[in-house]
Amino acid sequence: MSRYRLDPQPGEVIDRSKTVSFTWNGRRYEGFEGDTIASALAANGVRVLSRSFKYHRRRGLLTATYHDPNAMVQVGDEPNVRAAHQVLNEGMEVSAQNVWPSLSLDLKAVNQLVSPFLSPGFYYKTFMAPRALWPWYQRVLGRFAAGGVVNPEHHSAEYDHRYAHPDVLVAGGGPAGMAAAIAAAESGASVILVEEEPALGGHLRFGDDGDLQALANLRAAIEAQTAIEVMTDAVVAGRYDHNWVSVVQRDMAHVEERLVLARAKHLIVAAGTLERPYVFKGNDLPGVMLSTAARRLTNLYAVKPGDKAVVLTANQSGDAAVADLERAGVEIAAVLDARNGETVVEASGRKGVQTVVDSSGKRTDADLLVTAIGWTTSTALLNMAGDRPVYESRAARFLSSSLPLNVLATGGLVGDGTTDQLIEHGSAVGRAAARRAKTVKATWQGATSHAAPGEIPTLDVDDHPELFRSTTHGFVDYSEDVTSKDLLAAAEEGYDSIELAKRYTTAGMGPIQGKVEAVNALAVHGEAIGASLLETSTTTWRPPYAPIRLGTLAGRNREPLRHSPIQPWHERHNAKPLVAGQWIRPDHYGDPEAEVRAVRSGVGIIDVSPLGKIDLRGTDVPRLLEFVYVNKWSKLQVGKVRYGVMCAEDGVIMDDGVTGRLGHDRYMMSTTSGGAGGVWNWLDDWLQTSFPEWDVKMTAVTDGYASINVAGPNSRELVGRLTEIDLDADRFGYMEVRTGTVAGVTDCFLWRIGFTGELSYEIHVPAGYGLWLWENLIEFGDDLGVTAFGVEAQRIMRLEKGHFIVGQDTDGLTQGFGVGIDWAIKMDKPDFAGKPELAWQKERGGYPRLVAVQTDDPTVVPPEASQIIDASEKIKGRITSSRHSPTLERSICLAQVEEGLAQGGQRLNIRLPDGTTVAATVMADQAHFDPEGTRLRV
Amino acid sequence: MTRRPRFSAWKLITHGLSRSPWPKVWEQHELASTYDVVIVGGGVHGLATAYYLARNHGITNVAVVEKSYIGSGGSGRNTAIVRSNYLTVEGSRFYDRSVKLYERLASDLNFNVMFEQRGHMTLAHSDSSLRTMRWRAEVNKLQGIDSAVISPAEIKELAPFLDTSDHPRYPILGALWHPPGGIVRHDAVVWGYARAAAALGVHIHQETELVGIDVKSDRVVGVQTSRGPISTSTVINCTAGWSSLIAAMAGVSLPITTRPLQAAVTEPVKLFLHPVIVSGSLHTYVSQTVRGELVFGATVDPFTSYATRGTLEFTTDLAGHMLELMPAIGNMRLLRQWAGLCDMTPDYGPIIGPTAVDGFYVDVGWGTYGFKAGPVAGESVAAMIADGKPGDLIGPFGLDRFERGTLTAEKGAAAVGH
Ligand SMILES: Cc1cc2nc3c(=O)[nH]c(=O)nc-3n(C[C@H](O)[C@H](O)[C@H](O)COP(=O)(O)OP(=O)(O)OC[C@H]3O[C@@H](n4cnc5c(N)ncnc54)[C@H](O)[C@@H]3O)c2cc1C
Repeated sequence: MSRYRLDPQPGEVIDRSKTVSFTWNGRRYEGFEGDTIASALAANGVRVLSRSFKYHRRRGLLTATYHDPNAMVQVGDEPNVRAAHQVLNEGMEVSAQNVWPSLSLDLKAVNQLVSPFLSPGFYYKTFMAPRALWPWYQRVLGRFAAGGVVNPEHHSAEYDHRYAHPDVLVAGGGPAGMAAAIAAAESGASVILVEEEPALGGHLRFGDDGDLQALANLRAAIEAQTAIEVMTDAVVAGRYDHNWVSVVQRDMAHVEERLVLARAKHLIVAAGTLERPYVFKGNDLPGVMLSTAARRLTNLYAVKPGDKAVVLTANQSGDAAVADLERAGVEIAAVLDARNGETVVEASGRKGVQTVVDSSGKRTDADLLVTAIGWTTSTALLNMAGDRPVYESRAARFLSSSLPLNVLATGGLVGDGTTDQLIEHGSAVGRAAARRAKTVKATWQGATSHAAPGEIPTLDVDDHPELFRSTTHGFVDYSEDVTSKDLLAAAEEGYDSIELAKRYTTAGMGPIQGKVEAVNALAVHGEAIGASLLETSTTTWRPPYAPIRLGTLAGRNREPLRHSPIQPWHERHNAKPLVAGQWIRPDHYGDPEAEVRAVRSGVGIIDVSPLGKIDLRGTDVPRLLEFVYVNKWSKLQVGKVRYGVMCAEDGVIMDDGVTGRLGHDRYMMSTTSGGAGGVWNWLDDWLQTSFPEWDVKMTAVTDGYASINVAGPNSRELVGRLTEIDLDADRFGYMEVRTGTVAGVTDCFLWRIGFTGELSYEIHVPAGYGLWLWENLIEFGDDLGVTAFGVEAQRIMRLEKGHFIVGQDTDGLTQGFGVGIDWAIKMDKPDFAGKPELAWQKERGGYPRLVAVQTDDPTVVPPEASQIIDASEKIKGRITSSRHSPTLERSICLAQVEEGLAQGGQRLNIRLPDGTTVAATVMADQAHFDPEGTRLRV
Repeated sequence: MTRRPRFSAWKLITHGLSRSPWPKVWEQHELASTYDVVIVGGGVHGLATAYYLARNHGITNVAVVEKSYIGSGGSGRNTAIVRSNYLTVEGSRFYDRSVKLYERLASDLNFNVMFEQRGHMTLAHSDSSLRTMRWRAEVNKLQGIDSAVISPAEIKELAPFLDTSDHPRYPILGALWHPPGGIVRHDAVVWGYARAAAALGVHIHQETELVGIDVKSDRVVGVQTSRGPISTSTVINCTAGWSSLIAAMAGVSLPITTRPLQAAVTEPVKLFLHPVIVSGSLHTYVSQTVRGELVFGATVDPFTSYATRGTLEFTTDLAGHMLELMPAIGNMRLLRQWAGLCDMTPDYGPIIGPTAVDGFYVDVGWGTYGFKAGPVAGESVAAMIADGKPGDLIGPFGLDRFERGTLTAEKGAAAVGH
C-alpha cells in the first residue's frame, strides 16, 4: 500500500477489499472501490492534476468536490470530468487535459514568463496589424482553448427523463436538509431529497465521532420513512417558475444520467456553504488546499494529504483540520490563527508548496498549506427563486433574505448552529413546508399561507472575520487564471463596475461559474473602486447550478417521426422517402413521370394520410369557417365540400384545404400536411379568446384516418368496385362528399376533388384499415393498371394545373390577392381574419403576382428560386415552382413577378444559378394544362 | 478632448515591462445641462451612432445615457453572429455594408473586436428549405455577396462533426454557405466603440436612466434622466428591447412587441467546430468560441415579456436538436443559460428614421438579429442626423412603411434569428 494511504478511518467510504485499477496519463495505478479519481491519485502520491488555462501552471486539489476548478480531467471519450467527484471504475483511462506535450512538461507554461504582457484583455489590444495576419493569430489563440477533447466517433449513451410531482423537494442532504425531509415526511408529505455527493450527510460525513453518530441517526430515520425518495450523486440544477425544478441524477444503473423534471409543491433549499479560498501569492500551488478538502481526503478516503503542514484557520473547520491532520500523522509545522490577525502572505515552491511565508515574515517549510478563512453561501437556487441574498458582515457571507411562499431555506443559507440546532431548524422548515404544500391546489398558483410566527426558529450566525485577500496578489479565479491584480488593473483601466470588470477579465466565466471565486472577486473589485461592494451588491446565478450533459437534457426519443399506416407497403415497394415536416412520405416509386402518365391515362393512388384533418361539430361551425377562411361558407349544404384559403391577420396566406359538410352539424376540415398543427392552434386561439360562446367542438383526427386519393379517368370504376356508395356523376358530383362503407370498412368518408386535375376520390378510412384499403385498391385495380404514385408525381400534376402550394409559391409576405384567387376572397363578408389588411392590399396595389411561366426553350427547367431580372440585373421576381411536364412534354413554371410583369404574353429573363439567362413568357392562364377543368367534371 | 495612447503589441510589451497602468478607456462625467444630441441606450447601436457622429460629422457634443452598464442589454447577451446572406435586396445590401465595416473595425477603433470570418452555414433538412437556401443564394449573388448552396460532402469537409449520414428525421440535404460570415466578440465591439467615441469627446453616462422626453409643439426640447434634466433638440432611441417604452415617452407608438430570446454556452473543449452552423428546421444555431465553448441560440420565446429568465424547456429542446446535428457531443456539458430582450417588428425588419415628433429618431426593431447591424446602423443614423434625411441604405426601413404597406420581406427567411 502506498505510504499516503492511512490506516482505516472511522468515516471512510472506501472498500479496502476491492481494488480498482485505472490509468493516469497512460500509467497504471490502483485505488479502492469508493475512491474518487482524485483520491486514488492522491493516495498514489500524485499531486498535480491539471495545468491552468492561461499560464499552464501546475494545479492540484483545492476543494476536493465536484466544483474543484483544478480537478478537470479527460476520461476516455469524455472531456471535463470532475476528478474529485467521479468515483473510480475499473479500467478507467484518465488523462490530463490541455497539456502539451505532457502534464509534467507543458511547453505552454512559457506563458508564465510573458505573463506581464498577458494582462487582462491583452488580446483586445493587439493582433490588429497587419490585418492579413489576423487569421493566423486566430489559429494561435484557438490552440489555447481550454478543456478536454470530444471524439467525433463518440456515440451518445442512453439518457432518460422522468417527471415527478413531490409535495416537497429538498435540495441538499446535510443535517438540515435531512431533518427537513424527515419532518416533512412525518407531516404526511411525499418528499424527494437530493444530495450532490454520493452519500447523505454533508459536512457530517467527514466530521468527528459525534458528527458520525448524528449522521447515523439521521440516516436511520430516513431509511425508516417510505415517503422519502433519496437521490444521491444527484444535483438540483435549476429552479424555474412555479417550482419547476430540474434534478440531474448521475448515479444510474441502466442509463448514463437521468433528468428529473419535478413540479414541487414546495421547495426547501438546504444547499449549505462552500468553503472559500484565500487570495495570496502562490495560492494556486499544488499542496495549497481548503480545510474541507484536507478533511475529505483524510476522513473519507484515508489519504494523507501531505507530510508537513501549515494551517491557516479562522474557524472550527480549520481547527478540526489541524486535529485530523495530526491524527493522520501529518506534522503540523505551524498554525496561523486568523482570528488573532495572523495570516499567510506567500506560498512558494517549484512543483508544489515548499515554503510558506506568514504575516510576521516567518518562513516555514511545508508541503501542505491548509486554509480555512470562511464560507460562501450556496445561494444559486435561492437566486433562481427570486431571493436577493444580503451580505452579513458579522458572518462574512451572504444569507437568504426573502423567498416566495413556496420556497424555504434552512441550514447554512440561513445561519450557523450546532448539529442539534441545525436539525431543529431543518425539522421546523420541513413541517412548515409540508403544511404549506397541503394548501397548494394547483402548483402554478403556489402556496397561500405564510409560516406561522415562531413556527420556524431563528438560526444565529457565528462571528467570522472578513477575509478575502492577503497583502499579496494571488489567483481569484482558478479556472480562468484571473488574479487579484488583474481585477485591480481592470478597474483602473475604467472597467468600473463589477459587471464590466468580470466580463473584461473573464472572472467567473469558467466551468466553476464563479462558485468559488465570485465573492472574492466582489471584494477585490470593491477594494479597487474604494467601496464595499459586498454591502451593496448581491450575487446572481443563472441556471444550471452545475453543468449538465447535453445528452441528459435531451433525454431519449427526441424527435418523433411520423409514418402513415400504409408505410409497410411503401417500403416493400421501394418508395424513395421524402421528409415532409414530421412525416416521412413516398416521394416516388422509381419513375415519377411514368406515375403521372399512369394517372392521366388510367388510374393511380396516392397515400395522403399526412393531410391535416380536423373534425368540427356544433351549430356555430359555419360561423367559424366564415371567419377563418376568406371565402363564403354559410350556404354549404350537407354533402358538399369547398376549397378555402386562410389568411393570418396580416393578410398573408397561411394555409389552404377543403372542408366538407358531412352532416347537419358535422364538418371535416382538411389542412396542408405541414400546416395541421398551426391551423389547429389558430382555430383554438380564436375560439378561446374571441368566440368562447360559440358552439364548436374540435377534434384533431389526422392520425385517426388514413387518406388515399384515387385519381385518373378510371378512378370511378376502381372505387365503384369497393363501395356501395353511388358514384354516378350526376348524383355524386365534383366537390361533394359522402360517408359510408368502402372495402367493407364502415365510417369512411370520401370526397370528390381534384388537386391533380383528374377525376378523383379522396377516401378517408379509419387508420387501422389504411393498409387494407390500399391493398384492396391495388388488387381490385390490377386489370385497370392501377399505379401507386408519390408526392413528386402529385407536385408535377398540380403544377400542370397551376395550383399553388402555400409556403412554396407563397412566402412570408404573400397576401391573399397575390395568388390569383381574387374570385374566392369575399370582401362583402362582415368580417374575417385578415380582411382589413386584404382591403388595404387591394386599394394599395403594387404587389407581386403569382403567374404561370414557360421558357422559350422547352428543355430548360429553371431551378426553383431562379431570379427573374431586368436588363440592369434588378430582381423582378422569382421562379417558385418548376418541373418538366410529362403531359405537355416541356418545362413549366409558376413564378412571383412584379405587378407590371404579370400580364399574359409578358416577356421575362430568368437568371439560372449557373449564371446563364433564359427567356420566358408569362402565360395567360395560371393552369398550363386543362384550364377549363373539363377532366374534373366527367 | 483627451488624447489616448494607441493599443498595440509594442505598447503591451512596454506596459508589461514598466508595469505602468493603462489609461482609462472612458471617463466618467458630470451630466451637462445641454447636449446637441442625446442617445438613449448604451448598446452597440447607441455607441456606434455616437462614434460616427463624432468621427464622420464632427458632432461631439453628444451624450449616451445608459440605465445600467454599457452592453447590459442585447449587446452583451447576443451570440454575436455576423453575416449578410439575407433574403431581400434591401436586407443583404444593408448587412453587406456592416460586414465590410466589421472587417476593418479593429483598426478603425484601435481595439481588437476579434471578428473571425469562419464562414456561416445554414443547413437544409428538407427540399423546401433547400429551395429557400437557393433563393437566398441567388439574391445574394446578384448583390455581389459570397453565398452559395453546397452539398453534403462539402458540408462534411467544413464541419466533420455534423451527422451527414442518411438520417431519417433531419437529413442534411445541403446548406447555404456564406464564407464572410462569422462571429465577433460582442463586448469588445461595445467597448471599442465606447472608447473611441469617448476619445472624440462623447460623454458616456452609465447608471443614468431616461425617465421622460420633453416635447413642445411636436418638437423635442429636452429629456429627463435619473440624474437630472438635459436640454436637447435631438434624441435618438437606441434601446432595442425597451424601445417602445422610450418612444411612448415622446408620444410615439411603435409596432413592436418585446419577447425574450435565450442562449446558452457549454464548458470549453478543444476546438472542433470552425464555421457557424444554423438549422432553421431545428430552430437552433451554434458556434465555438476561440476559448472553446459552444454558444447556442434559438428562436424567440413564444410570449411577450420583459423578464430575462431562462426556461428549462429551452435547454432540453436545444440539447435534443443539437444532438440531432452532432450526435458525438452528448457528453459535453451545458454551463450557463440566459435570456435577452428582442424588439420584434411585424416584418422582421428594423425601424430606422424620423418620427412624427421633430427631433425624435428611432433606430430600433433589431429583434434577434441587430448586433451585426451595429456598425452600418450607427454610420447611417449619424449621417441621417447630420444630413437631416435618411440615406439610401436605410430608406426602406422607415417607420412610415407600416402606413404605406411596403413591408420588408425578411420574415420568410428569418425564422431563426441571429
Ligand atoms: C440571446 C440573443 C442572441 C442574439 N444573437 C444575435 C446574433 O447572433 N447576431 C445579431 O446580429 N444579433 C443578435 N441578437 C440581437 C442583438 O443582441 C440586438 O439586436 C442588439 O444587441 C441590439 O443592440 P442595441 O444597441 O440596439 O440594444 P441593446 O444592446 O439592448 O441596448 C439598449 C440599451 O438601452 C438601455 N436602456 C433601456 N431603457 C433605458 C432607459 N430608460 N434609459 C437609459 N437606457 C436605457 C438598456 O439598458 C440597454 O443597455 C441576439 C439577441 C439575444 C437576446
